[in-house]
Amino acid sequence: MCARPRVGLLHNPTTSALLAHAGALVEHVSAMPERLWFDFGAEAPRGRRFHRAHAAIDELKAALDGPPARSFAGHGLGLSLPSAMPLDDDMVDAVAAMTRRLGGCAWYSEHLNLFLTPKGGVPNAQAGLGLPVVYDEESFALIAAKLQRLRDAVGCRLLLENGSFFTPVPDLDLSEPEFLNRLHRQGHCGTLLDLHNLLVNERNGGTPMADYVAELDLDAVEEVHLAGGDDEEGFYMDSHSTPTPEVVWELAFDVLPRCRRLRAITFEYQESYFEDIGLAALTRELERMHVLAEACAGDEARESAHAETADAR
Amino acid sequence: MLADFQQALSDITASPALCRALRADSELLGKRYRLTERETARLRAIAGHPGMTAACTVYRMNRLAPLAMNLRGTLRALGPALRRTIDAYWVDHPRGHAHFYIESCRFADWLAQAIAAGLSVPATVAGELARETAFVRGALVASRTEG
Repeated sequence: MCARPRVGLLHNPTTSALLAHAGALVEHVSAMPERLWFDFGAEAPRGRRFHRAHAAIDELKAALDGPPARSFAGHGLGLSLPSAMPLDDDMVDAVAAMTRRLGGCAWYSEHLNLFLTPKGGVPNAQAGLGLPVVYDEESFALIAAKLQRLRDAVGCRLLLENGSFFTPVPDLDLSEPEFLNRLHRQGHCGTLLDLHNLLVNERNGGTPMADYVAELDLDAVEEVHLAGGDDEEGFYMDSHSTPTPEVVWELAFDVLPRCRRLRAITFEYQESYFEDIGLAALTRELERMHVLAEACAGDEARESAHAETADAR
Repeated sequence: MLADFQQALSDITASPALCRALRADSELLGKRYRLTERETARLRAIAGHPGMTAACTVYRMNRLAPLAMNLRGTLRALGPALRRTIDAYWVDHPRGHAHFYIESCRFADWLAQAIAAGLSVPATVAGELARETAFVRGALVASRTEG
């Protein structure tokens, strides 16, 4: 086994077509549990809220079984950990049940975004809009406690993904990298570094990508997301509609070899753009991810992290 | 308090009108939410940030997503009436449902009732709505996979 991060995809309904074309290039699959069930909501009878989406689960299981067999990580969107309201315990239990059904996951990630509020929230149907988080002591304590509950339920390493925002919160006590570094330092979770989110923030007037990365503890980074977006009404959107932009690749080749605990590099695309992007471009994306992964090879710490990834399934 | 700050942030993202009202009336936040001075200052800055336009746009796109997926023909038939129809629906149902078929059925039922009550829409809407409602209702029943 080589000590380098695995090359992976975020699973969607077109993944099986891509695997049929270029399956040998895909070593890891992440999947969102919210796409593997139908959530009938809090108004559903107790114990009858989550109904499994059997076809989607079967497709995912086929992708994981291969050949080749692939490592698996869960990537949730629905728990809204920064929300100032109790954790959705029913959903946590559903996440745990789903990961067990899939044979366990090497790690589980959530977003460092706000989606739910006491009287509403923002829809999380597609990538692109989570509300920004106030990085202070109150949010830290809130998120740390929820991470503990989630970790107890799913029984694996947790990661939090940096967000993309159109409207940053001013006058914060901590920057986002400082917040993530502290979560890592205190043992609550590692970091899922979404490099395209950094580009979205930079292009929309936020922190420059290089400044963000310079502040981040790269030893916390265990997974990296690549993706592409597009311009809409003067803003750059995290639409997952294109291959990874060149400026993100440049950053990736600079930064990832310094991420000693990196376990996977995962490409995200939205299935409605599958035809537009095309199999040839997706294959080129995966091939270039392998070059990137090879550039990260040969580190003792990663050897250990990678062995954990393989052991989890 | 944090819960009210988050609620206010969500509300202004969901409502460009509220966002505009907040810019015009510096006392509005204090009338609607329990906030510290620092939270109030943060929300005022966010409401005035150029990115608020994009945040509101993406909110609408995401809220519309289940209807665009399941009731595409109905939305297309609504044509120029789509915007005011959707705005009226969101006033009655400010929170979307996570289950796309439930959200789509809820909108379909609301629209059928609104048309029966006299809502003016293009003549082709009723036919598209009936056809697509039948499909979505079937899909919703099929999604009850746990007995």
